[in-house]
Amino acid sequence: MAETKKYIVGVFDDEDVLLPAVKKIRAEGVQIHDVYTPYPVHHLDTYLGYKRTRLGKAAFLFGATGTTLAITMISYMLGFDWPMDIGGKDFLPAPNFVPVTFESTVLISALGMVGTFLVSRGLGPGKKATMFDPRSTDDKHVMAINLDKNTKHSKEDIVAILKQNGVTEEPKEVDL
Amino acid sequence: MQVTSPVRAPLVLKKEENGQKRATTYHDITEDICRQVEAPPTNPRWLLAMLLSLAALGWGGYTLYRTWWFGLGEWGLNKTIGWAWDITNFVWWVGIGHAGTLISAILLLFRQKWRTSINRAAEAMTIFAVLCAGSFILMHMGRAWMAYWALPLPNTYGSLWVNFNSPLVWDVFAISTYLTVSVVFWYIGLIPDLATIRERAIARGDKIRAFVYGILSFGWDGSAKTWARYEEVALILAGLSTPLVLSVHTIVSMDFATSLIPGWHTTIFPPYFVAGAIFSGFAMVLTLMLITRHVFKLQAYITLEHIESMNKVIVLTGSIVGIAYLTEFFIAWYSGVEYESYAFINRAFGPYWWAYAAMMSCNVLSPQFFWFRSLRRNIYVTFILSIVVNIGMWFERFVIIVTSLHRDYLPSSWAMFYPTWVDLGDYIFTFGLFFTLFFLFAKFLPVINMAEVKAVLKSTSQTTLEKVQARSAESVASDTHQGDDK
Amino acid sequence: MAGDKHIALSDLSQEKNFEFTPKLRKQLMTAIVVGAALLIVGIILWTQGIGLGGEHHGGGHAPEGHGAGGGGDEGGHGAFHWTKRLYAVLWHDSVFFTGIALVGVFFVAFNYLALSGWPTIIKRVPETFGKFLPITGVILLAVFALGGHDLFHWTHHELFDPTSPKYDKIIAGKEGYLNTPFFVIRTVLYFVLWYVLYVLLRKMSLKEDEVNDFYAYTKNPVFHKKSGIYAAIFIVIFAITTSTAAWDWVMSIDAHWFSTMFGWYTFASWFVTGLAAMALYVVVLKDHGYFKYVNENHIHDLGKFIFAFSIFWTYIWFAQFLLIYYANIPEETVYFLHRMEDFKFLFFFNIIINFAFPFLFLMPRAAKRKTLLVKIAAVGVIFGHWLDFYMMIMPGTVGKHSGIGLVEIGMVILFIAGFIWVTAAALAKANIIPKNHPMIEESLHHNI
Repeated sequence: MAETKKYIVGVFDDEDVLLPAVKKIRAEGVQIHDVYTPYPVHHLDTYLGYKRTRLGKAAFLFGATGTTLAITMISYMLGFDWPMDIGGKDFLPAPNFVPVTFESTVLISALGMVGTFLVSRGLGPGKKATMFDPRSTDDKHVMAINLDKNTKHSKEDIVAILKQNGVTEEPKEVDL
Repeated sequence: MQVTSPVRAPLVLKKEENGQKRATTYHDITEDICRQVEAPPTNPRWLLAMLLSLAALGWGGYTLYRTWWFGLGEWGLNKTIGWAWDITNFVWWVGIGHAGTLISAILLLFRQKWRTSINRAAEAMTIFAVLCAGSFILMHMGRAWMAYWALPLPNTYGSLWVNFNSPLVWDVFAISTYLTVSVVFWYIGLIPDLATIRERAIARGDKIRAFVYGILSFGWDGSAKTWARYEEVALILAGLSTPLVLSVHTIVSMDFATSLIPGWHTTIFPPYFVAGAIFSGFAMVLTLMLITRHVFKLQAYITLEHIESMNKVIVLTGSIVGIAYLTEFFIAWYSGVEYESYAFINRAFGPYWWAYAAMMSCNVLSPQFFWFRSLRRNIYVTFILSIVVNIGMWFERFVIIVTSLHRDYLPSSWAMFYPTWVDLGDYIFTFGLFFTLFFLFAKFLPVINMAEVKAVLKSTSQTTLEKVQARSAESVASDTHQGDDK
Repeated sequence: MAGDKHIALSDLSQEKNFEFTPKLRKQLMTAIVVGAALLIVGIILWTQGIGLGGEHHGGGHAPEGHGAGGGGDEGGHGAFHWTKRLYAVLWHDSVFFTGIALVGVFFVAFNYLALSGWPTIIKRVPETFGKFLPITGVILLAVFALGGHDLFHWTHHELFDPTSPKYDKIIAGKEGYLNTPFFVIRTVLYFVLWYVLYVLLRKMSLKEDEVNDFYAYTKNPVFHKKSGIYAAIFIVIFAITTSTAAWDWVMSIDAHWFSTMFGWYTFASWFVTGLAAMALYVVVLKDHGYFKYVNENHIHDLGKFIFAFSIFWTYIWFAQFLLIYYANIPEETVYFLHRMEDFKFLFFFNIIINFAFPFLFLMPRAAKRKTLLVKIAAVGVIFGHWLDFYMMIMPGTVGKHSGIGLVEIGMVILFIAGFIWVTAAALAKANIIPKNHPMIEESLHHNI
């Protein structure tokens, strides 16, 4: 990290207060860095204005890769490299290849999609977490506002806006 | 705003403190579920259970050594019956391994909130059960060190590939895919909870836990964006796992159903095996959760409502299995194929009639008790029946496998199967493995998904009366408010 | 965002109840007239020997003189008569629409047992489907009475007579099940059981509407509880009778052939059709200004149901096909062989329209949330499964004389118009939303 950034941190304890608060705070023109919650709060991402994820498309593409790989592998091995008469069937009995093709599709789709998720969100074994307040893994919703990115509002303004919108304790300043 | 119907029973019960009842908070959930993870591993009951499991594992390890060192002659198989004890156990364990992914995937897709308290343990159980199932494959290979031959690898004997037409090769792919995806699903679900334990360890100054759970929690910070992506990941994984979980037992059933053996070759096998698998898996989840709930005092999270819901799944799947038995029997007659008819008559009235009777009474009749609400909500009845069901499901596989093989087309080669002590020991080995892993899991990882329970806490903890009172007050208030506007 | 704001129960009074308008009646009458005209013209052409097929199929593979594997028309009746195809067409549509009607009841019933919340708002739509059951029941029995011999090879007495040259040992072995009185008793029994439970479920649902104080009612929702009991009884009966009905009405056409999966296969086909039909119904009603509180999340869930159970159907179809293909036993493969060789296009088209189409089309999230796209998917799936039933019934009954001509189209128009007429009339009789259903609040605020 090049330099420390200054954040104002507001703490909420009820999702039904948090969601309207996010809406109003954003309406005031304050840019929210992120909100840290102990559990997935439904629709918080849409309130924060995040775009819908494209992980579904990634999963589909990985799945299609898996299908193609399996079909190519099986047909090469049993159809061309070493054709064998098995049960009097064709050398490429398509129905018999469906199970393995299906499994390969699911495997590669699942692993690829989860891998994409971990990489894109910077998660991995031994990665350091940036915690504004450890209670965000227990029972508090923690909203962080980057002061450097909110030049239009003074620090006091932001604190006041947070207080108007139902924070349960005095917002504090955190340097990271 | 999540609205829950007044008629729904609460899924998280109130806390009792100094004789007073109060609503359970998010922090209570963290405390109650982290408690056993953070305690030192000295609970005498846990140690005893662990010791027993290790003893089973040790004894089974010895018979496993005999199986591999002296060969499969140590087993009770003979020329007529080439598959019996091992495959029965294999299918039994794989079946048990279906509940976890079912709960976390299918019930997620159906938005069943009661899933949140049991999915973690059920998924863990799934993984361990699949490992137990896999160990029978390795045992039956005789030379387990050649197991990689089942993979499509180029080899030194010319380009002779594995036969992708063989259901046994399908099995290799199905079970390894299932194991991998289940582990991924389970672990992704664990990450947020591991972060909770990490933060608590840091706060307490517990350096070892902070370090270990710090690595394991992947740097999770609970950011809203990560959560949103995480939920999408869970949903897609559920979408992928649902057909996957069906495919696994489907393919296991095809080990039998693609053959020409009477009693095995029947088209209903795939869905009926899947139903049976869910049936036995739920029974095993119940067995384990009833104990866990009691030992870890989790009655507020695994309530009678959860137990009742699981019992409903048991009566549903048990009845589906029952219908499948009758269908098979009927079509065996209807088909007019005498071998097929004989196979079924022999199952019910032949020398293995007792196995058939055990299967019918344990699988078809016993779950019918769960049509009654009072029995569904009775912990003792549930516990006993959950074990009975798994006995029945073991017999089902035994009946299918052994009775179809022991009398083939040539009466001179008719035979009976009796297990040897090595057979028994190998079965005990998997019990040792299963329980050792489960007890380790229960001690070092949170048995309930804290984050998911917290997510549904608000909408599921009110009682009917509270909801009715809150909302009828609300509607009166909004009515008067509207009146003011006019 | 839909479902975001609070909807009070009193807001439900703004919901417009369904009206069976004269305009709709007129449209349905027109459809009936058109359908009947097509039917009559088609039959007249048939009597002239036009459109009865037979020339382009070759039919060289159909085993002569057997019901099994089709060619049942060769069963010693001499020249092909057009009435046989008419009976087959009637049978096909009746079985198909029985399924849709039955699945409506099944949907209502299993949602009681599953304590599901979200479909409550659209519950009245599938709830009316059951009204069509008596009609298809009567048609099925009438067709069996008139054309049983034409459709069901096993109804011929000589097959069971060991002295007859036509004696068929295998079919004779099934006499305990496949005999006319027992068949009729079973069919009557199915319809009586289904309809009685349907009426009870409907009655409870309507009685619940008369409750005055919703919140007082939810403390002890008697009608809801009773519905749960009826639903449980219905599900048990349904579980058994769908299989046996499938054996009776469909599998026994190919009297030699058997498959343990067949009952569940028919169920899978019926179920996804019924789901598509109710999705289509709901979406069309919403387009016409009803169902103000049905939001895109409800539509999404209906779309997901079609998507999921299309895959389920494929699973069942494929499992049955693969096991028969793999084992390669002649008495089993005959069923698929006949269809793959003489109905090649439909056989493969069946998989495309019923699997590939819904799977790829409904996969994106948007496709399940936009009413237009859900409509396209639902129509495709319903048509696809109509063809699926066509493939189950026609090869074994009319074989090479089958086809999709004026009569088939006219008949299906008549059935659709009749179905809409009956269900719309029932829908107009009650509130379009079950306003006192204990789960109604969850459904109103459905937001995924």
